[in-house]
Amino acid sequence: MIPQAPEQRRALIGEYVLGLLDEPEASEVRQLIEHDRDAARMALDWERHLLDLADALPAQQPSLALWQRLQQSLGWLPASSESGGGLSHWWNSLGLWRLTSAGLALLVLLSWLPGVLRDAPTGPSYTAVLQVPGESARPGWVITVDGDGTLTLDALVADQIPPDRSVQFWTLVDPKEGPRSLGLIEPGKAVTLSAEQIGAVQAGQLFELTLEPEGGSPLNRPTGPVLYIGRAVLIAGS
Amino acid sequence: MAGSEFDYEGTLEACAAGDRAAFKRLYQQEAGQLLGLAITLLGRRDQAEDCLHDALLKVWVNAERFDRSLGSGRAWIYSILRYRALNQLRGRKQLVATDDGFINDMADEAAQAEELADARSSARQLRACLRLLERPRRHPILLAFYRGLTHDQIAARLSAPLGTIKGRIRAGLRALQECLQP
Repeated sequence: MIPQAPEQRRALIGEYVLGLLDEPEASEVRQLIEHDRDAARMALDWERHLLDLADALPAQQPSLALWQRLQQSLGWLPASSESGGGLSHWWNSLGLWRLTSAGLALLVLLSWLPGVLRDAPTGPSYTAVLQVPGESARPGWVITVDGDGTLTLDALVADQIPPDRSVQFWTLVDPKEGPRSLGLIEPGKAVTLSAEQIGAVQAGQLFELTLEPEGGSPLNRPTGPVLYIGRAVLIAGS
Repeated sequence: MAGSEFDYEGTLEACAAGDRAAFKRLYQQEAGQLLGLAITLLGRRDQAEDCLHDALLKVWVNAERFDRSLGSGRAWIYSILRYRALNQLRGRKQLVATDDGFINDMADEAAQAEELADARSSARQLRACLRLLERPRRHPILLAFYRGLTHDQIAARLSAPLGTIKGRIRAGLRALQECLQP
């Protein structure tokens, strides 16, 4: 079934790479690619040419949770994904019980120095009240960012969303960069995001929830109406 | 991120050796462009992110199977993503409604005189070669790549007989490989 002539063979492999072959032809070509280095080269060569079409598309920023999820799937993160800062991590992993008495003595000495050892790094904390645009008396969600950078989004309302729509959470740090997706949320349901997922929050940083097609915006930016919007306000400095 | 200096082959080999930092660099370099393609194929951001997640896991696990003597590392990564996305599409009961405006625009793109010269000389980029094809041959190839449609689905979308579509695609790919081969 698979032609011997290189041109015909190459074209058939092109059809396979495009996903156009039906069974059993697809399996035959797959076998060929697995066992014949020239065929494998042809397949990868088509794929390389097709990159030109992939690159004609705009890149889309993955939601910040994706990298976290990947690391979890790879078993690179502990089961509970509480990701503290470097110092608290060191503190936990070392474990006080493992310190010798000499170490303890050093610890006592060090603890006199201000700011050297603390239970948790306490950075600035922020809050943001997300309101219906233009209606300051209708808050819908409250964001709090605590001292270690963990963001919590709490619902004050539980809106009804059409079944073919999703609510997407966004933030805008730098207008030049454009908004960044923080993922989809369920109406009325609180969400917690780690510092690693959201990055450092700044005073005045914009957060918003938009109504998008089911599964989220197909573009790298919001496409639907803004449901709630608000800016981060500093509540405690470091 | 086309045309960047990023060393995909070296990074994949580092991944094969268990270098997690290399995998993170690869993610930072390519996840956005991969997601752009996955969203275009699948039409939904959540499913596209699932697809990207699964594909990147596979890239890490199978990195040791990458062989730079067979070709481009970047192409190898995209082959994994597209394979997964196509499987996801084939498993669907119905197509997701999509806006094919940009595909129609690309199908309508006629080659400029300079490009004709360019495509026939050294550059040999697929888009330039595609523009040399007549629209009836170009359009089904674009629908296959960007929407992952099967022969049947393309025939239905373009209201043409199945045999005609198969013939046009095959002829189109032959013409492309002639244009692309030095």
